[in-house]
Amino acid sequence: MLEFVHIQKSYGAMPVLSDISERVEAGEVVVVCGPSGSGKSTLIRTVNRLESIDSGQIIVNGQDVHAAGQDINGLRAGIGFVFQQFNLFPHCSALENVMMAPMSVYGVTRAEAREQALELLARVGLEHKSPCFPAELSGGQQQRVAIARTLAMKPPLILFDEPTSALDPEMVGEVLSVMKDLARQGMTMVCVTHEMGFAREVADKVWFLDAGRVLERATPEAFFTTPQHPRAQKFLSDTQR
Amino acid sequence: MLEILNNYGLILLIGEYPHGPLGGLAMTLILAASALLLSFPLAILVGIARTAPLIAVARLAALYANTIRGLPLLLLVFWAYFAVPMLFGKSINATVVMLGALIVYESAYLGEIVRAGIVSLPRGQQEAARTLGMGYWTTLRKVILPQALYNMIPSMMNQFVVVVKNTSLAYVIGVDELTNAAYQVNSQLLTKPFEVYALLAMTYFVVCFLLSRSVEAVERRITRNRRSRPS
Repeated sequence: MLEFVHIQKSYGAMPVLSDISERVEAGEVVVVCGPSGSGKSTLIRTVNRLESIDSGQIIVNGQDVHAAGQDINGLRAGIGFVFQQFNLFPHCSALENVMMAPMSVYGVTRAEAREQALELLARVGLEHKSPCFPAELSGGQQQRVAIARTLAMKPPLILFDEPTSALDPEMVGEVLSVMKDLARQGMTMVCVTHEMGFAREVADKVWFLDAGRVLERATPEAFFTTPQHPRAQKFLSDTQR
Repeated sequence: MLEILNNYGLILLIGEYPHGPLGGLAMTLILAASALLLSFPLAILVGIARTAPLIAVARLAALYANTIRGLPLLLLVFWAYFAVPMLFGKSINATVVMLGALIVYESAYLGEIVRAGIVSLPRGQQEAARTLGMGYWTTLRKVILPQALYNMIPSMMNQFVVVVKNTSLAYVIGVDELTNAAYQVNSQLLTKPFEVYALLAMTYFVVCFLLSRSVEAVERRITRNRRSRPS
């Protein structure tokens, strides 16, 4: 489904990603964790070319994302992305936010897009908020609309970039439960998150990143109970304090 | 002063119309409004070009905007007035020349306003649209411009006030507008320049003041709309 092949990226002399080679299989949920500045967000942003890479290959569904001449819009439509800051379109209602991309990218009719959008909003528990503008929604509700907006493109793979980090604590749960539902329904997900509970509950794999390297890849049980790398041990003891 | 208004008010308002060409305040407002309406689409193109990912396009637009903004409008008016007959072999209506100069000038200024509107949007807006698979132009049309232009309404209306005042330069190439009308009234009266030009000043002031007030009203409304958005 998703494969990183020897990814290298640096800002000037500062390496951001060093020789990353990993695989994500269809239906897997991978949680990427690590200290801030370790390259987690950069790593998943390279998957849909929000960030460039210096060398290596990223293969999504057999397509080389960073190849010259690649139909990037077509590829991006099939890779969901959920942002830390939600990034809903503030001039559009929740419903229009979900309808916009299917109509302009896939050429879906307005009626179909509307029907699908209402279904998706119902799926994230926000059907009653469909006429509301993002400003009228709480952070948790905005993030759920953002997830519905991503789902509207029917992507086989969704990337989450710290989806709950900008939320008030009482709203984290509602977003995580939507994500858990997705995971249970077999969605392939790569989540950068600090929610260790989420990782334990639904992740198939945990990648631990530090200084642009994947230092540890393990099942959640193994990672949380017997971390191998000293850096991971320190990270876990720091975060669980 | 009232006497001047009594005798010449109509000339200041509409020129010699309907017995001669339209002029006076009416022409001033027509010039200003058409300059703004016609430069608006061009300004959007300039603003887009200024923020274009293609460096050559961005540079070219920057060259245009910076050159025009570095020149007095009067110079553009003169150039247009003298260059057009040389280029086309015949002279063109002075009003059209003035309109052309205003459009070239305003497109540069309004273009900068559009650019500011585009640049000031959070990066995440563009990223969100692009990650959904929307292309560059679709993103501009559906996500970036609706927000950027809405935010820039007060600045653009301010520019309208500036255009109204700039139309007075049309006088130097003989367009029948408000300043020209006042000039003609003055040369008929000969003895009352202070009164005539005070009248002229008051007319500009009232028009621009009313425009400024409506800008403020719109600004308040936009601020209110924004305040209802927790960000």
